[in-house]
Amino acid sequence: MMKEKNGHKYILLLIVVVTILAALSVFLYSGGENDERNNELLVRIVLMPKGVNDANVFWADVVEGAEIAALERNVELTVLAPSFETEIEVQNRLIEEAIEMRPDAIVLAPADYTKTIPYAKKVEEAGIKLVILDSVMEKEMGCCVVATDNLKAGWRMGNYMKPYLTKDSVIGIIEHIKGTSTATEREQGLRDALGEYEENIVDIRFGESSYDKSYEQTKEMLTENPDIDVIFTLNEDSSAGAARAVRDMGLGGEISMVGFDSSQEEIQFLESGIFDAIVVQRPVNMGYLGISMAYQAARSQDVPGEVESGSVLITKETIYTEENQKLLFPFRESDRE
Amino acid sequence: MAKQNSSYMKSLQGKINLSLLFIVAAAVVSFMVVSIDQSRSAVRNTAIKYTSQMIEMMNGSIDSYITNMGNIAQIVAEDSDVRSFLFMETDGAELSERYGEKVSELFRTLTDASSDICNIGIISENGRYLINDSGTEINPYAGYESMEWYQKALSGEEVITSSHVQNIVYNEFPWVVTLSREIPGRKNGAGAVLFVDLNFRSISDLCEKTSLGTKGYVYIMDKEGNLIYHPRQRLIYSGLLEEEFTPDMQQEEKVVFSADGQKLYTISRSVVTGWTMVGVTYLDEMMSGTNRLRNLFYLMAVVLVGVALTLSIFLTDMVTKPLRKLRETMKAVEDGNFDVEIKEPDTGDEISDLFRSFRSMILKIRELIEQNNAEQLEKRKSELNALQAQINPHFLYNTLDSIIWMAEGGNRRDVVLMTSSLAKLLRKSISNKNEMVTLEEEIEYTRSYLTIQKMRYVDKLEYEIEVEPAIRWIEVVKLIIQPLVENAIYHGIKYKEGKGLVRIEGGFGEDRIVLRVIDNGVGMTKEQLSHVFDERETDTRKNGVGVLNVHRRIQLHYGIEYGLSFESTVGEGTTVKIYLPLPEMLRGRGNREDR
Repeated sequence: MMKEKNGHKYILLLIVVVTILAALSVFLYSGGENDERNNELLVRIVLMPKGVNDANVFWADVVEGAEIAALERNVELTVLAPSFETEIEVQNRLIEEAIEMRPDAIVLAPADYTKTIPYAKKVEEAGIKLVILDSVMEKEMGCCVVATDNLKAGWRMGNYMKPYLTKDSVIGIIEHIKGTSTATEREQGLRDALGEYEENIVDIRFGESSYDKSYEQTKEMLTENPDIDVIFTLNEDSSAGAARAVRDMGLGGEISMVGFDSSQEEIQFLESGIFDAIVVQRPVNMGYLGISMAYQAARSQDVPGEVESGSVLITKETIYTEENQKLLFPFRESDRE
Repeated sequence: MAKQNSSYMKSLQGKINLSLLFIVAAAVVSFMVVSIDQSRSAVRNTAIKYTSQMIEMMNGSIDSYITNMGNIAQIVAEDSDVRSFLFMETDGAELSERYGEKVSELFRTLTDASSDICNIGIISENGRYLINDSGTEINPYAGYESMEWYQKALSGEEVITSSHVQNIVYNEFPWVVTLSREIPGRKNGAGAVLFVDLNFRSISDLCEKTSLGTKGYVYIMDKEGNLIYHPRQRLIYSGLLEEEFTPDMQQEEKVVFSADGQKLYTISRSVVTGWTMVGVTYLDEMMSGTNRLRNLFYLMAVVLVGVALTLSIFLTDMVTKPLRKLRETMKAVEDGNFDVEIKEPDTGDEISDLFRSFRSMILKIRELIEQNNAEQLEKRKSELNALQAQINPHFLYNTLDSIIWMAEGGNRRDVVLMTSSLAKLLRKSISNKNEMVTLEEEIEYTRSYLTIQKMRYVDKLEYEIEVEPAIRWIEVVKLIIQPLVENAIYHGIKYKEGKGLVRIEGGFGEDRIVLRVIDNGVGMTKEQLSHVFDERETDTRKNGVGVLNVHRRIQLHYGIEYGLSFESTVGEGTTVKIYLPLPEMLRGRGNREDR
C-alpha cells in the first residue's frame, strides 16, 4: 500500500513538473526573445585606432562611427589607443592589454606595416576575432579588412586633375611614410588615373607624418624643380604641410594642388584656392563598418574579406553641400576626447 | 509504469488532482496572460505619454531659442546706431568707428545675455559689415552673397535656416542655425542683412541628452524634409544607414508605430520654425520592466500551481484514504470475513456516515447469519431429538416379553419393578417438551433402563453409578448417557463371557464436567475405534439413537470442544468420556483427580 502511494506521488510530481515546464516554455517562446537578445548576445569589442587626440579629426570620427554601430547592436565597446600615430610601441603594448580583456573581437588599425604583425598574431592565437581597420600590414591578417579603397582614392585625385593637364605639366608628389600600404596604394591609384601623364611626375618626397617635414620637403622640391605646377599630397599632414609651403612661397593659384584627408586648415586652403580639390575618406563609415564586421565575425557569421569605407572628392564649390558639410565638420562636442 | 499511471488516472484521487491541476493552471495562465497584457499596454501608454511630453517639451525649448533669436534680431534691427553704422553716408573711418563701437557694445551685451547665440552680424550690400565686434574679420572666401539666408533676407523675407556650417568668420566653422532678416536702407539706397546664429550645439545637446532609452533617439527635419539633426546623419548621408521613418509633413498623427511594432515614433511639429521633431523609442527597452514583471508572474504561477497541487493532494488523500480503507474492509467482507473491525474515522463527514452505515449493515448481516445458523441448529436438534425419542421396538418387545415371562412365573415384585421402570422410561421419552434435563433426571432415566436390562440379563449385567452430587443438578442435553449405556451393553458386555459391569461416573475435569461410561466388555480394536463415529455405524436398529447422535447433539449444543471420546482395549473393555461445559457457578472447582 505504502509503496503504491509513493508511486502515485511520483507520477503526480512528474505531471506537475511537465506541466510547469510546458507552460514556461510556451511563455518564454512567446515573449522572451527580447530578453534573450539583451542578455545572451552581448558582444565585447575593443577598438584600437592608431592614435587619438584632440587635434585629430580622423580617428575621432572613426570612434564616433564605432559608437553608433555599438549602440545599434548589443556591443560593449572599449577604445584603446595611443595619443599619437607614431607611438607604435605603445599600441603594441595596448594590443597585449586588449588580449588580456578577453573580448570577442578586436578592431585594429595597425600603426606599423611590420612591427605590429607579431602582436596581431597574438590576437588571432588567443582566438579573438581580428578586424583590420584603415591600413593593412606586410602580412595579410584578420578575418576582414575595413579600409578606404586607397587605389580608388588615389585614382580620384588623378582623375580630377587629368582634364587640366597638358604635356608640359610638371607633377610633384608629397607622401607620408615610404612603404606604408596607404601611401603606396594611393600613389598607384594616382598613377593609374594619370595615364599618359604619369611620366610627368618629376619628384616624390616623404613628409614622414610631420607637418614641418612635409613643409620643408615641399619647399625643397619646389626650389629644386621650379617648373612644378601640379602637386598631389597623399595624406593629412603632407597636404597641410605642402599647402603651407605653397602659400608661403606665394605660389597659390599658380600651382594646382590636390590634397588628401580633411582638417580645418585644409578646408581653409580649399576655400582660399590653394587646393583645387581634396579627397576625403569616410572615417565615420570606417568605424561603423569595422564594428559591424567585428560583431558579425564574433557571432560566427560570414564576413567579406575586404570592406571599403569609401572616399569623396571635394572642391571649393561642394564644401557646403548638405552632405559634405556634415562629412567635413563634425558637430560633436570637441572636448569629447 | 504506464498501467499504474492509467490506473492512477482512473482513481478518484487522480481525477480530482488532475482536474484541479488543470483548473488552477488554466486560471493562473489566463490571469498571467491578461495581467501581462494589461501591464504591457499600461507601460506602452506611459511610454507614449512620456515621449510625447518629452518631445513637446523639447520642441518648446527649441521654439524659445528661435523666438529669442527673433527678439534679438528685432532689437538689433530697431537700433539707431546699427542703422547709422550701416547707412551713414560718410565714409569717415572715425564715424564708422564710433558707431562700430556702439554696435559692438550692443552685440556683446546681447551675446552675453544668451549663451546659445554664437554670432550676431550685419552686412550691408555696399560691403559694410560688423560681426560680433568691430575686430572680427569676415572670411574673404565665405561667399555669403550667394547664400540663401543672405539673398532671401535681402528680398525682405525673414529666414530661419536649417542647420549648417557658418563659415563667415575667418577660421571658424561652427554649426549654427541662422536667422536672418532685412534691415531696409534709405530710399533707393543699399539694403542690409542682419543675421543671428544660434549655436547648433544647444539644439544637438538637447537632442542628445534626451533620454529615450539607450537605443532611442530624437531627430529633427525641416519643412523640406532635410535632416537638421540626426545622431547618425553622417552615416545617413554617406548612404550607409537609412532612417526608416519619415514623418508625413501633412499628417496630423502624433504617434506612429513601425511596421514590426518594435519602434514608437513620436512626432511634434513646431509652429515657429516649421520643423518636425521625431522621437524614436524602442519599445522592447520600455518593456524591460514588464519583462521583469512577467518573470515574477512565472514564479508566482509556479508557486501557486505547486501550492494548489500540494493542497489538492493533501485534501484528496484525506478524502480517499478512508474510502480506500472502506474498500479494503468491503473486500475482506466480500471474501467472507464478517468479523472485520470497522473503525470509522472521526471526521464527522459523509465518509464517516458511510462507515457507520456500512458497519450497521455488516452487523445486521452478521446477526442474520447467526440467526440463520441458530435456526439450522435448532432444526437439526429437533431432528435428532425426534430420533432420540424413539425407543427401540426390539427393546420394548423384549422387555414386555420379560414382564410376561415374570408374570407367568408369579414373580410379582419383579413385574412391578420392571413395569414401573419401563413406565418411567416411556414417560421420559414421551415428554419431549424439554430438551434439557438435570443430570439427576438423566441418571434416573439411565438407571431405569439399566434396571430393566439387569432384570433381563440377570447373571450377565451389573451396574454402578457414582456421580458427584455437586453436579447432579446441572442441566444437560437429555438422552446422552442412556444411549452409551445401551451401546456398552449390546456391543461390549453382550459378547463377554461371564458377568459384565457398566459403571457410570461423573465429576469435574480441569475446566469441564466429565462423565464416564465404563464397561468391562470385549472392547474394541483400534480399527473399530476409528469407525465409532462413522455414519454407517449409526444403525438405529443396532444402536438405538446411536453414539454419533449423542456426540452431535452435544456439539451442536455446547460447541465442538465438547462431545464424546472413546478409549478401548480389546478384552478389557471400553470407556466413553462425555465432556460437558462446566456451568459458570462451578468454575474453579475443577477436580484434577477426575481427569
